[in-house]
Amino acid sequence: MSTNVIRYGFVIDLKRCYGCYSCTAACKAANHTPKGIDFAKCIQGEIGTYPSALRQMLPTLCMQCEDPECLTVCPTGATQQDENGIVTVDKNLCMGCKYCMQACPYGQRHTVDEWSTYFPDAETREMDPYQLYAKSKWEEKYGYGMAAKCDFCIVRLREGKEPACVEACPAKARHIGDLNDPESEISILIRRERGFQLNPELGTNPCVYYLPPR
Amino acid sequence: MLVYPKAQTKWLWIIAAYLFLAGVGGGAYLLGVAADLIGGEQWTFLSKAGIILGFPCVAIGAALLIFDLGTPKNFWRAAMKPGTSWMARGVIILSIFMILGVIHIAFWIWPFPNVLEGAEGARQILSIVGAVFALAVMIYTGLLLEASRPIAFWGAAILPELFLVSALSTGLMGVVLIGSIGGAAKTTILTFEKIYILLNVFELIALGFFMQATHRVTESRISAELVLRGAVAPLFWFGVVIVGLIVPLVLVILDVTILGGTVAPIAASICALIGGLFLREVILAGGVHAPLKAGRFEYMLTNV
Repeated sequence: MSTNVIRYGFVIDLKRCYGCYSCTAACKAANHTPKGIDFAKCIQGEIGTYPSALRQMLPTLCMQCEDPECLTVCPTGATQQDENGIVTVDKNLCMGCKYCMQACPYGQRHTVDEWSTYFPDAETREMDPYQLYAKSKWEEKYGYGMAAKCDFCIVRLREGKEPACVEACPAKARHIGDLNDPESEISILIRRERGFQLNPELGTNPCVYYLPPR
Repeated sequence: MLVYPKAQTKWLWIIAAYLFLAGVGGGAYLLGVAADLIGGEQWTFLSKAGIILGFPCVAIGAALLIFDLGTPKNFWRAAMKPGTSWMARGVIILSIFMILGVIHIAFWIWPFPNVLEGAEGARQILSIVGAVFALAVMIYTGLLLEASRPIAFWGAAILPELFLVSALSTGLMGVVLIGSIGGAAKTTILTFEKIYILLNVFELIALGFFMQATHRVTESRISAELVLRGAVAPLFWFGVVIVGLIVPLVLVILDVTILGGTVAPIAASICALIGGLFLREVILAGGVHAPLKAGRFEYMLTNV
């Protein structure tokens, strides 16, 4: 890819993240995901035993890999990568084989069979207008029985706004920028603070970098 | 420390049944045409039994595969891009195999048995081409799983071979089952059973190699623990090892040496077939994704 094209990348500062799940909630609100589907999931990690135990959150999202495994295995050509490096799923082409879910090393591929909600009395009660709105939005964008995934809020990016998770992060642990520009904020952060990628041994070259915890 | 090791949940029994049926169909067809090409007159029954199993098994398997899709109406798109993955290539292999299988059944067994009965040369060509695709069907099921790189348990180099041997042995036992019920010549069934003993031993060895090759990295060690001692262990030890391999091996050895009759081969083949299905399920249910590694921390994926 030539350097004058924007290559969107993320930097997540693990020493700033305190695990408040704001990104998860903001992403849910922005993408109208049904129950159990989080495009921006936070995973808890622990090492050691008491009294020298440590806890560290790992906020995840789609890594928008430069060489994505999901694109490699997709048999229908539904998975596509645009010139900014964003990987998307064409819902008219996807057949829902779930191969990408097996192939994605980061667990960032999701599928929904039917709409579900967190409310316990969902069967007996009619859906309120907010849920109906979310349901219609989900159906419009992703539908059922297909692969769905994070797209760095590409619509918001094109409007000049930050992705929902970046905007919501109260610890300012998330940064978005252009990896192709060596003077961008995230490029400087990656260089100065030794940013690393998750599981680089698979050769996917993710566009999400993490800054090491303390 | 690893928290909540969890295997993938996206592909389970339906896909296991498909992998199993593709194996049985391919294996039975291959042995059927082999018996036709190499054997003489007395082999006709078992040969036809094998060929008659080929198409329906693979077709039911393919139907299950389509049923498991999130959007079945788009299934045909899988055949459009063979360059992408083994799933796309597999759809093409399956389609060609099914077409060849239907032709073979239609013009040799039912409803037009006389067409290929007379034309020996045409039948041999069809048999050889069909055998190549039967082999491809059996091997591709292993390659399909191998392409999923984060699941190291499925990435073992011996997995396609294990599936191939299992496909041949279950296909053979499918032929033996039909042959025993249909009254095929006992000498031919005994020959098949001797081949089965060999295949069974190969399968045990392949399974042993497969399991010992799994403790290299964290995720496949977790897979092995899941299969050998964890949640999948009862299915593995009872379903795959005892019902699927040991019981049929003992029954077949008894049948070849002292027993005779039809009860032992029927019981052995049913056990071997069930074991083949369980083997696929065990492999699928043992697929654990690699943890995400950030510094000293390892994070298990919980939503796969």
